[in-house]
Amino acid sequence: MDATVTPLRIALVGVPNCGKTALFNRLTGSRQKVANYPGVTVERREGERATPDGRGMRVLDLPGTYSLNPTTLDEAITRDVLLGRLADTPAPELVVCVVDAVHLPIGLRLALEVKRLGLPMVLALNRMDVARRRSVHIDAAKLSAELGVPVVATIAVKRGGADALVEVIEAGTWIAPRAFAPALREHGAEDAEQMQRDMRALLAAAGYSPPRENPWSGRIDALLLHPVAGLAVLLTVLFVMFQAVFSWAEAPMDGIERAMNSLGGFTAAHMPAGPLASLLVNGVIGGAGSVLVFLPQIVILFFFILALEDSGYLPRAAYLLDRLMGSVGLSGRAFIPLLSSHACAIPGIMATRTIPNWRDRLTTIMIAPLMTCSARLPVYGLLIAALIPARSVGPFNLQGLVLFTLYAAGIVSALLVAFVMKQFARERQYSPLMLELPDFQWPNASNLVLGLWERVKIFMSRVGGIILALMIVLWFLSSYPEPPPGATGPAIQYSLAGRIGALLEYVFAPIGFNWQIAIALVPGLAAREVAVAALGTVYAMSAAGDDLSAALEPVISSTWSLATGVSLLAWYVFAPQCLSTLAVVKRETNSWRYPLIMAGYLFALAYLASFITFRVVRAWA
Amino acid sequence: MGLDSGVLQDLVVALIVFGALSFSVWKLMPARRRLRLLLALDAWCARHPSMTRWRERWLKPRIARAAGVGCDGCAANDARTPHRPR
Repeated sequence: MDATVTPLRIALVGVPNCGKTALFNRLTGSRQKVANYPGVTVERREGERATPDGRGMRVLDLPGTYSLNPTTLDEAITRDVLLGRLADTPAPELVVCVVDAVHLPIGLRLALEVKRLGLPMVLALNRMDVARRRSVHIDAAKLSAELGVPVVATIAVKRGGADALVEVIEAGTWIAPRAFAPALREHGAEDAEQMQRDMRALLAAAGYSPPRENPWSGRIDALLLHPVAGLAVLLTVLFVMFQAVFSWAEAPMDGIERAMNSLGGFTAAHMPAGPLASLLVNGVIGGAGSVLVFLPQIVILFFFILALEDSGYLPRAAYLLDRLMGSVGLSGRAFIPLLSSHACAIPGIMATRTIPNWRDRLTTIMIAPLMTCSARLPVYGLLIAALIPARSVGPFNLQGLVLFTLYAAGIVSALLVAFVMKQFARERQYSPLMLELPDFQWPNASNLVLGLWERVKIFMSRVGGIILALMIVLWFLSSYPEPPPGATGPAIQYSLAGRIGALLEYVFAPIGFNWQIAIALVPGLAAREVAVAALGTVYAMSAAGDDLSAALEPVISSTWSLATGVSLLAWYVFAPQCLSTLAVVKRETNSWRYPLIMAGYLFALAYLASFITFRVVRAWA
Repeated sequence: MGLDSGVLQDLVVALIVFGALSFSVWKLMPARRRLRLLLALDAWCARHPSMTRWRERWLKPRIARAAGVGCDGCAANDARTPHRPR
């Protein structure tokens, strides 16, 4: 790309869930998250594509909106970018208005609004393959003539599905001299009626015929949206998911664990004794290796999440839970952000921009970290495998049941916190959920594979990046200063980390944590799964002789009491062990007040829950 | 002098620990401060033509990534090289 000329600025706009991000990925080679529900994209994203003339194009993916009169923060971003109101983003030179060809009338209304801005525009009729299958007829040539802009068919999820759009953009047939800045006209009732008339005229000119109804879709919806049967289906889906996480992952996890143990033994046997061997065996293999074991569980969890996202089921689940969420003071729109928080709280907190009411948005932000993010899975997986026997309870796996209970505990406590926050709110206003239910579809296999591959890459880069680096630092702190001559205990007790652990033990002893757990909680503030790696390093350093690379799980099951293990599980349901989340809360609320309140209440809840759990389980056991 | 040498082992370990510590500090630094440092580095590179290639290839994508939000756990800040012309 020629660095001396500025690339053509293109903005992708459209209603939510019409396929903008899929088209953006197709155009730029990016792999931004796509899913079959509205509200996935909440901020502008930028990507580039080289062109034969050397100028290149800079493509902006904007949050979906039904209108240029925004009601939420994410919709305001779209309007502001189109009008050139953002200081760091000049107005686009070309707008590609993406409409879902199956539901053309919904997208066409926005297209008319965008066209009125006076910006050059191309209309992309996306999902044309589905439209053809469902007997939707659109005469693109006539629609183009009537609308006065080029109209092209696209299939964003298929290779080559955006070629026609790229050809039109590169040919420059869309060029229209613009002598005025884009401006937004105020909407009056008359204006809205006129736009409706224009839209009907366009649909008639294009010979649009609505999609053939799928009889199965109606029947499935009758079941999934039923207040009782729908809830039963939702619980069953979640239950199967958590059972699978434990049952299916067992064999590959054992394989990775054996490989790590062999690698540790091989390294210890073939390297001269000294600090380097200790660093590799205890710090790298014992630490980062103990997190790597949980890769199969992460892959299985995301297989289910991605499949559910792609199928169109999740908005139905949002509809089902709307009443329950409303009763504790949560907006129905909070469902998607809270659901996203199960992968990571950060995109979940950012997704709260789709909530128009500030009080509702703040409540959702404050409870998002209570959703069980994927970083907690290695901690849960380790403790459950070490402390809960792998036996069946009826047709169910007991370990899977405990995992399901922990996820449920996160959700229930989030609802309780929302209910308490509702009591403090001065204004109590319920915002009804307005959500467009997407069509059902079979999860796209390539989407699924690519999505899983992304998760594997993210997990591996965390293990090989920040987790490995922190484990090396922790190994150093656990090794130096060296024990004095004649010392009898493990070397770690005399090290800096050992002394810090001994101090922290005073704070954590009432909730049953030993000094090894206390040490592991500190680097665990960077990311939750670091605590597992830290336990691996600390226990490897505490061992002696041949036990250096021993697996963590048997060490925990033989040295911890059930009360300590369950207390640590309770701690992880609540504790805000992720600094990045607090930083994003500060950014989204533009204040230090809320991240501080969040950290305070979550730590207090974690300590209280662990204290009660420890005492009750100890008395009972 | 092989790995049997205690001095060499200490030296290698010291380098690894220093690298790991620097990397951890960089990754855990507040995003705004990291962006400020990258921009300062970018301004310095702009004054040195010999750094142009490194600046375009290494520094610019990192600035783009640091300017967004997100963490290691999500693919929110994806800065990929553009497609080649057909």
